[in-house]
Amino acid sequence: MVVLSYLFYVLVFPGLLFSTIVGLILSGIDRKVVARMQKRIGPPIIQPFYDFFKLLGKETIVPRTASRKTFLYAPVIGLLALVTVALFIPMFKFTAISTVADIIVIIYLLTIPAVALIIGGAASGSPYAGVGISREMVAIISYELPLVIVLLTIGKKVGMALNNGAITFSLSQIVNYQAQYGPMITKWSLIPAAIALLLIIPIKVGSVPFDIAEAETEICEGPLVEYSGVPLAIFKLNHAIKMFIMTSLFVTLFLSGKGTGILIVDILLQVILSAIVVIVSISTLKAITARLKVEQVLKFFWTYPTALALLSLILVWMGF
Amino acid sequence: MQHYPILSIVTLFLGAFLTVIFGSKNETVRKFIALVASSISLILVLMLIKPVMIENNVIQYWMGNWRPIHDWAIGIGLEVDSLGLFFGIIAVVTIFLSIVFSFRYTEKDSETDKYYVLFLMLSGSVLGLVFTGDLFNMFVMIEIMTFAAVGLTAFRNYQEGALEAALKYLVLGSIGSSLVLAGTITIYSQVHTLNMAQISALLFNNLTPSTLFAFALLLAGYSLKAFVVPFHPAAPDAYMSAPSSISMAFSGMVNKAGVYAIIRLVYVLYHAMSFKSIQLLLIIIGTITMFVGVTMALAQNDFKRLLAFHSISQIGYVITAVGVSTALGLTAGLYHALNHTLFKGLLFLTAGAVFYATGTTDLNKLGGLAKKMPQTAAVFLIGAFSISGLPPFNGFVSKWLVYQATYQANLAPVTIVALLVSVMTLASFIKVAQSIFFGQMPKEFENVKEVPLSMRIPMWIMAILCVLTGIFPNFVTKYLISPAVSAALNVGKYIDIMMGNGYAEKILGKPVEIPAVDYVLAGYWNPVAWLVLFALLLLAVTIVAVAGGFNTASLPVDGDDSKYEVFFGGEANEYSHVKGNDLFWGLKYDLRHYFGFMHDAHSGIINDYALWAIFTTTIFIVYIFLLVP
Repeated sequence: MVVLSYLFYVLVFPGLLFSTIVGLILSGIDRKVVARMQKRIGPPIIQPFYDFFKLLGKETIVPRTASRKTFLYAPVIGLLALVTVALFIPMFKFTAISTVADIIVIIYLLTIPAVALIIGGAASGSPYAGVGISREMVAIISYELPLVIVLLTIGKKVGMALNNGAITFSLSQIVNYQAQYGPMITKWSLIPAAIALLLIIPIKVGSVPFDIAEAETEICEGPLVEYSGVPLAIFKLNHAIKMFIMTSLFVTLFLSGKGTGILIVDILLQVILSAIVVIVSISTLKAITARLKVEQVLKFFWTYPTALALLSLILVWMGF
Repeated sequence: MQHYPILSIVTLFLGAFLTVIFGSKNETVRKFIALVASSISLILVLMLIKPVMIENNVIQYWMGNWRPIHDWAIGIGLEVDSLGLFFGIIAVVTIFLSIVFSFRYTEKDSETDKYYVLFLMLSGSVLGLVFTGDLFNMFVMIEIMTFAAVGLTAFRNYQEGALEAALKYLVLGSIGSSLVLAGTITIYSQVHTLNMAQISALLFNNLTPSTLFAFALLLAGYSLKAFVVPFHPAAPDAYMSAPSSISMAFSGMVNKAGVYAIIRLVYVLYHAMSFKSIQLLLIIIGTITMFVGVTMALAQNDFKRLLAFHSISQIGYVITAVGVSTALGLTAGLYHALNHTLFKGLLFLTAGAVFYATGTTDLNKLGGLAKKMPQTAAVFLIGAFSISGLPPFNGFVSKWLVYQATYQANLAPVTIVALLVSVMTLASFIKVAQSIFFGQMPKEFENVKEVPLSMRIPMWIMAILCVLTGIFPNFVTKYLISPAVSAALNVGKYIDIMMGNGYAEKILGKPVEIPAVDYVLAGYWNPVAWLVLFALLLLAVTIVAVAGGFNTASLPVDGDDSKYEVFFGGEANEYSHVKGNDLFWGLKYDLRHYFGFMHDAHSGIINDYALWAIFTTTIFIVYIFLLVP
């Protein structure tokens, strides 16, 4: 029975199937909204599903210079890590596996898909991919610093209220805190951290203006340049799931709370809030900005979001 | 059982002497002697686990049976508590695997008898250092260790830079040894004994200016042996020029010996961790060490030099965690020390394998080796992910503990730096992966073959240990780490065993209490559940693959069809490999002033480095005089 419920968690909800569907829908919404903002009609919302199934049916070509196994397994490893993260993010009161839900674990698990992209790109042997992975790594270094500070800030805030000042890294405690004291976004000292996290989401999912790694017009999608068929489909899926997970993480960290107590409604609420976060942080930025240069991305993230996050950390440390 | 420690040390030294006598002519004989000596020593030390780690005994042995008279130690004593044994285990495992790796690795070198003699001397001295209970004996062992290490650094003296590296190591190592000697003498002049247990008892609540001076000197000396920044500049050169099996021993046990000595000094000899200022000193130098180490590593263009800077950086983690000085912090530090030995040893062995196969470790000359050396590439990736702290590998567990410990101790800046350093570690290993194992292969490496089995076995053992210590942290902490932590925090027993029961109580007043190691933190990392998950997911993916997801019929790699070439902007394909130097432009550009400063600072001039060492020692002395009560 335990095995069956685990299997259900992993394969259906909130694991593979659920996050696939929600992720693809969210990226559909994103494309539609961006199109409307730019006065285009845009694709139908389920266009990402069409793209995904179309790619599944295409031929898989492995270049001669590639290390085949690494090349083919990289997208799958990324998918596994993402599905694992999906299990750990609480949706209001619901968590698949609550005891080990931990912020630092999630930071590291979220690094794995990026590493998978890098390793896969490196394994293809393409010079475009080489440039792409170099940029992807710079992007990781850029956002990791503010992301870490944001998460530590929240841990400190919750710990001060619930654990007598000892910090907590537990996501379920963060949700408990919000159930007791209202959503985190209502605490004014944490608003800078929320803004910082909203700026981190686009670079984490690799969208304009921070998509230096995949920059289609410069380096032909960088690490993905040699991918085709099923592995490419999985990478695109990873991209969509990452979008869902990052926004869902934002919802859990800043907008969560008691919920309604009814599981289905809670989940719907989480998805809707995620969609709103997608529109606010990903689509809007995408519609109104152009891609930054590589060195500008690092400079940007190590100044503004880091400063915002540090401001929150200091405020929280001072007891606000 | 009482004789195991001394036997395990003597076996190694005896092996060295026998190699001189019988092994100078015959390759097989010297390999046999080295293998037998290291395995006997391995077995003897592993047999100590049960009595020391599990039954929590402390083993003491008076050389020549010179027992203490009237509560005053005269002779040299060995004393093995769980802390010493923990580092002893690290050392013997490294020694054994390194010796096995050496067999084929050194086959192209001449005069390997000298190699084995020096290596066994080095091994014996490290083991002697961690097992001894005598401060002066520790100095002697450090001297043997340093000079064997210098000899081994210059072993491939036909290589460019080997002699220079050895000279740097010699000069800086001698400064370190002199500092240790000066500290030892000062302590001896104050308390008139060299037995560490007795010194510990006599110095309790009894710190005079002279003993504080000695403390600063010893701390500086041992820090130099652990290659803490800014004492580090000898390390990268030495690690790069030495054969890889030796680099593995350097990072696996020689700088661990320095870490051990620091822990012994601050926790046991001086009970210094109750002083906030000493904690802060260790945390500061640890944080600087990890940051400088990793940023220097990012800028390197040689595989082994890069690994050397990572050794420095990871030792920074250990020192920081040790400096936090809570039970959790010490657990984190020791766990990271163990993990560092495993993954860094593994990475040095892969560097050795690459060198064996291609004759170079230059990141700008290699490329695409994963196709020719798939197993080396696989273990390299395991090592790289471990050191970057990706779950479920071992680096994750110990780094997680480091973050917990530092953040709990209200050291948020340190936690942030540690997390950032971890990402930069990942970056520099991505650089290695892209430059050496992936990307396009230069023409001259077309005939490269996978390394022989006897070199792959140690690599795989290390890789498996990396995974095991990552997914079973509860066993590792229970049987290895926690006993060592409680030995470091509970000094009374260490003193009692050596000087006779009740001695500690007579002087310390009461037994020092052990703070319980508290794991009831927010969700102690439980990776076994994850392993189940990962397994399930792999199953799911396999089902997809079987159902035709990865239709292998559509994956031909042969033939002249141009669709299997990589995309090259529509032009005919030509060799273009993105190499080490080409990577991370944005980062290098934004931090150009920092990198420029570091580049200028590491001038390669020994005088500068010696000056750094002396200067930092002065700072230590002043700091300790000013801030320690």
